[in-house]
Amino acid sequence: MEKKSHTSPLLNLFHDLGGNLAVYGTALGLVILAVPLGLRAGPMYALAAGLLAALSLVTVGRVLRQKDTALRQKELSDEQLLQSQKLASIGELSAGIAHEINNPLAIIRQEAEWLLQLYKKDSPPDAQETQSGLAEIVNQVDRAREITHNLLNFARRSQPVVQGVELNRIILDMTSLVEKAAQQKNINLVKRLAPDLPLIESDAPLLRQVILNLLNNAIQATGKGGTITVVSEAADHRQVMVQVNDTGVGIPKEHLSQIFDPFFTTKPQGKGTGLGLSICHGIIERLGGKIIVTSVEGQGSSFVIRLPQALDRRGR
Amino acid sequence: MDKFKILIVDDENDFRETIIKRLRARKIDIEGADCGPKALEMVDAQDFDVIVLDVKMPGMDGIETLRQIKLKKPLVEVIMLTGHASVESGIQGMQLGAFDYVMKPVALDDLMDKLRQAYERRVIQLEYNK
Repeated sequence: MEKKSHTSPLLNLFHDLGGNLAVYGTALGLVILAVPLGLRAGPMYALAAGLLAALSLVTVGRVLRQKDTALRQKELSDEQLLQSQKLASIGELSAGIAHEINNPLAIIRQEAEWLLQLYKKDSPPDAQETQSGLAEIVNQVDRAREITHNLLNFARRSQPVVQGVELNRIILDMTSLVEKAAQQKNINLVKRLAPDLPLIESDAPLLRQVILNLLNNAIQATGKGGTITVVSEAADHRQVMVQVNDTGVGIPKEHLSQIFDPFFTTKPQGKGTGLGLSICHGIIERLGGKIIVTSVEGQGSSFVIRLPQALDRRGR
Repeated sequence: MDKFKILIVDDENDFRETIIKRLRARKIDIEGADCGPKALEMVDAQDFDVIVLDVKMPGMDGIETLRQIKLKKPLVEVIMLTGHASVESGIQGMQLGAFDYVMKPVALDDLMDKLRQAYERRVIQLEYNK
């Protein structure tokens, strides 16, 4: 809109002419036709016809410009809508942060006030009481620190470093890390890895983080005697696929759409920050892939990752 | 192979010295530290390419040492050594930017492979940040 107002009306007309040749052509044709037709009837008629035709030309121009303005306004409001949606998700995020940080703060305050109370008395306070109070404060500071730390990792958008990655090797390494935890719960850890999986261009540490996170979630969700199956496969469109399936508790339908949202967690307070899966989601998107989840409550969940075989050397 | 500089941090003297001896036999430039604070001092004083870091150490543990190393030199690649599989420390280490995990007992060729990959990553990173 602003750009247009700087140009001259004449230029404006030319610009319009280019875009709406058919409409202007008709109007101009009317002018050309009207004058000679009017001349036959008399000069006054010719003048009137000419004026009328010119008026129609101007009107057409005005209507077209109004249409343009309306279009631009619509574009603007679309943009504003997007912006407000962004702001809404930031609002949600800050509400989550505030909630997560406020809890430890509340506990810290209580403990500190209790300690102050203890020291107000004349006799020296009970050493054990003081110690347990201070220990709790340290605990809660650690909890808050973990939250801010995770958030920083979440916000940090460092470039992925692209190397040749042997996906099966990463899967094997990460399953060996969780093997002991799985054994303790008597969980059967099955690997079905495609032997001819192509080497992919990706960021190995980031992928390790994602796969370890999914495996850990699967172990937590799966009860004694359950099964976790990790599958790797070459997929079409020059992609590879990794699946982590479990026979665990599953995810209720109403939670499925929120599962990758930051701070979404069903764990008791202080047990989970709700950032694990949202970090995974962010990583996979940055690596040019997709992560989706399917789940039946009571039967288990399945996380499927698709990754491109090749990525820009500079990542995205 | 390119010349690269490695630091191994482990409180188990026998294990650390054996690794140093065997890697030096392969003409690799490697130094050792027996605890986190010592490692941090060395990181301050020298430029290492890859650090192999034991997770479980008395006093400052591997995770805390990793955190501090990354604060000092974010582009140093760190491979975590773990005696027994600990999922918690695994996830924490990865979030803090560890390159990989190696489980003890470790096959030397395996470790060499990972060292090489970690070094390659460091070279790419340094190029990006030029």
